[in-house]
Amino acid sequence: MERYKISLAARERISLAVVAVVVLLLVVGLVKLQLIDHSEFLEKSENNRIRVVPITPRRGVVYDREGKVIIDNRPSYTVSVVPAEEVKGKSLPNLGQVIGLDTLEIRKRIKKNMVSRYQPAPVKKDIPFDVVAILEEQNRIFPGISYQMERVRQYPVELGCEAFSGYVGEVSEEQMGKNKMYNYRLGSMIGKEGLEKYYDNLLRGNEGTAYIEVSASGQILGSYEGREEIEAVPGSDLTLTIDLDLQRAGMEAIDTFCCGAIVAMDPRSGEVLALLSYPNYDANIFSSVIPERMWLEISGDSTHPLLNRPINGLYPPGSTTKLLTVGAGMEESIINENTTFKPCLGGMQFGNRFFRCWNAGGHGRLTAVHALERSCDVFMYQLGLKLGIDVMSRYFDLCGFGRLTGIDLPNEYAGLNPNSEYYDNRYGVNKWTQALALNNAIGQGEILVTPLQLAQFFCGLANGGIVYRPHIVKKISKSSGEQISVSPVMSFKLPFSERTLELLKEGLRLVVEGEKGTARSLQNKYYSVGGKTGTAQNPHGDDHSWFVGVAPMDNPEIVVCAIVENAGHGSEIAAPLVGKVIRTYMDKKAQRENLARVADEGER
Amino acid sequence: MLDYRQLDWKLIAVALALSIIGIILIMSAQYYADTEYQQTYFQRQIIWLFIALVVFIVVIHLPMRIFDVSAYLLFFITLVLLVLVLVLGPSRGPARWFSFGPINLAPSDIAKLTLILALSRFFAYTKLPVISKRRLAISGLMTLIPVMLIIKQPDLGTSLVFFVILFMLWFWSGMSPWYLLLILSPLVSLVTASHWLSWAGYFVLLLSFLALLKPGMLNSMVVVILNLAFGIFTPFIWNRMAEYQRLRIKTFFDPSLDPRGAGYQIIQSKIAIGSGGILGKGLLGGSQTRLDFLPERHTDFIFSVLGEEFGLWGSLLVLSLFAFVFYRAIRIAARCRSRFASSTVMGAVAILLFQFLINIGMTLGFMPVTGLALPFLSYGGTALVLSWTLIGLIISADYRWQEY
Repeated sequence: MERYKISLAARERISLAVVAVVVLLLVVGLVKLQLIDHSEFLEKSENNRIRVVPITPRRGVVYDREGKVIIDNRPSYTVSVVPAEEVKGKSLPNLGQVIGLDTLEIRKRIKKNMVSRYQPAPVKKDIPFDVVAILEEQNRIFPGISYQMERVRQYPVELGCEAFSGYVGEVSEEQMGKNKMYNYRLGSMIGKEGLEKYYDNLLRGNEGTAYIEVSASGQILGSYEGREEIEAVPGSDLTLTIDLDLQRAGMEAIDTFCCGAIVAMDPRSGEVLALLSYPNYDANIFSSVIPERMWLEISGDSTHPLLNRPINGLYPPGSTTKLLTVGAGMEESIINENTTFKPCLGGMQFGNRFFRCWNAGGHGRLTAVHALERSCDVFMYQLGLKLGIDVMSRYFDLCGFGRLTGIDLPNEYAGLNPNSEYYDNRYGVNKWTQALALNNAIGQGEILVTPLQLAQFFCGLANGGIVYRPHIVKKISKSSGEQISVSPVMSFKLPFSERTLELLKEGLRLVVEGEKGTARSLQNKYYSVGGKTGTAQNPHGDDHSWFVGVAPMDNPEIVVCAIVENAGHGSEIAAPLVGKVIRTYMDKKAQRENLARVADEGER
Repeated sequence: MLDYRQLDWKLIAVALALSIIGIILIMSAQYYADTEYQQTYFQRQIIWLFIALVVFIVVIHLPMRIFDVSAYLLFFITLVLLVLVLVLGPSRGPARWFSFGPINLAPSDIAKLTLILALSRFFAYTKLPVISKRRLAISGLMTLIPVMLIIKQPDLGTSLVFFVILFMLWFWSGMSPWYLLLILSPLVSLVTASHWLSWAGYFVLLLSFLALLKPGMLNSMVVVILNLAFGIFTPFIWNRMAEYQRLRIKTFFDPSLDPRGAGYQIIQSKIAIGSGGILGKGLLGGSQTRLDFLPERHTDFIFSVLGEEFGLWGSLLVLSLFAFVFYRAIRIAARCRSRFASSTVMGAVAILLFQFLINIGMTLGFMPVTGLALPFLSYGGTALVLSWTLIGLIISADYRWQEY
């Protein structure tokens, strides 16, 4: 039995050995954690308590050419509930009373938006400021209720600025994936249309980063001093070439009609002075979540308020491109200033079809300028036949049709400039006749242009053949104080000689000032206006009414192109609209000169 | 009167140092707490330390014989108390406390102490041979009764302490550790049975061990049969358990399986200690402690506060203080002429050493979460009084080492 016993000395040794082993075990454990894995655990402890919070920069403000604010940011308050801190039977009923929701509905929204019990779950967006004041002053009766301020884009309403402003919205998952945008997070605002999209990189600025310390329960204890905050860089402000007064004048003028577009440009630089699409929509509603009912209402509207007509609306140019036909005739030496064709008797026979002139009474025998003055179709038919489809198509191309203008707005359309290859594809080889040339000569048929392209073409006519690229941003003001002015860029030259241009300009003048001009209503004693009317036949309904005006004729400063859909003759509908915009421009100019003169005289 | 110069002042100083370090850590642990009650834990611990010191002084002044003579009586009273708590105890919540006015005593703490005394008396005077079955059965029963009375409360850690006391005193009263291992061998079967290969390997090892030790035919048979039973039935029962039951057992050994519960505590504790590094983050500087990430930081996880705020040097200091206590106590136990006193000291060592290992091992992440506090350092009045009573018995045994 003795072998199961053990001496006292041995027991003491074994006991001490056990203690040594135990202590050694713990020392090894400590050394592993505190020496070997120290940095890993230090990082974990920092991650535990430090939350990285993005700071959203102020989005750039957009001004018109005179410094008036077009797009601004306004504070918007969202009220939220922290579920863990809410007091039952107190917080939600009290909150419900001030924001006008019942407790059940608030609960539903909390459940929908809750991330964790310790983080605020948004309940209602964009609450009025006086409600915020109540929440702030009487915070004791609202335990667990908080509100967050965010900046929301504010767009002008009733000025039709949506055509160029576009709008912002939350970046979609699809966009994130497609573009691999490292600069955006889910929930970031991104420009979705217009210059908000085109200039998004400038407007948005750079996101900053704040480091805040939180407790285990997620309670925010304040900023963390251990790491320096990365400040947000505010977005650049943009000064546009737009003149809000012209924009408003255009909007007021077109307001009585169903649908249309107005583009005003400075031919000397390509600056876009006004760009509007009618009917317009309220871009503000896109900044937050759009109620589905409202979305259906807008997208289902038969007048297509979301169609950006100046750059996406495609129309036959009608008689407005008769200038191109005449110009091509001159350049191809088919006509000169004195050439006349067979007299217009209200139409002409070609093949087995009778092609009408708009004036059934006929215009008689006309030279080119007078054909332009009176917009004689028969003159153009005969000229078009002599030019042929492909020559005309070449001139359309050289005048910027069927091509993008390169304006600094996204999703511009190029339109359609058909040639014989196109017709071969469309109708089959030898399945079509030169009758199409007759149509093209008067801007009808397949050819489709945007109002911007047409305005650009007239800018070239007004500016000695030189076409500047249309643009909408005049100056970029970075938050660092650096300012970048956008200088005009020549886009192309019209394919017309000076002599041709002289003739075309005289045509423009006669349309308004000629004895039998089609837009004599624009005559006035203060300044001379030129232009061209157009009536675009529309297979879907009444004719579209075009007018493109140029003023003042001796040294053109403004070109205004207007289209009113389904409204009839250009001279009756579109011309007065253009007249109003031009008058607004000329009045402002006169006022400026008066002021300058008064100031000048005062100094003397 | 005592001759105070003869007291082991070094041991007293070390125990006092540990108690004061504990109070500082408790203060730091709850310094930024929300309620005043939490912030003042350390003040209550100071009061408890004074009570503990009074008990300590009383204990060292009492002759060792008083404990010896009254050991069975005290043990019996404890058992009665445990039964009373079970019968009369508050209907709500675990019946773990005796209430004497404002002072709540954990009956299990009292039971640990009286079990040491009773077992020590039994082993000191029994004429039964070391491995006689009656000796094993009586001492085993003495341990099992309080455990059965306490185990109603789901407290595995505390129950384990009782068995550790029993094993330690078996060993100290002369049983060879090899024989002890044979007795414990079915438990090894239980653990190794998780895979048949590991169990088979263990079983071969056990058989060769038996062949070497030659504990007699009958004893060998009992050991083999018990091991076979555990080895075969464990997987059988395991496979019939519900998934949540299995998960609970797995989590006990591997807390990372439960990252929101026990696993969370262990992860946060490891982060706290690991991030402390060599020098620590300084008193009140621990972010894990301050920001609420560390749960139970003034009680079970007080060592994590130490590791985070005082780093490796602080932790090693506390380990050395404990090591000194164990070393000193074992030396005293070996020197005592009285078998009762010697056994009592080793019982004290068993409690302190086991809790020391399990608690710190838990904060370091390699021991299961059992809810055992760290002696001297963790917040808790009765535990502190018990620790100082044990120190008092050790000091007393040392002072009276020549007495039989």
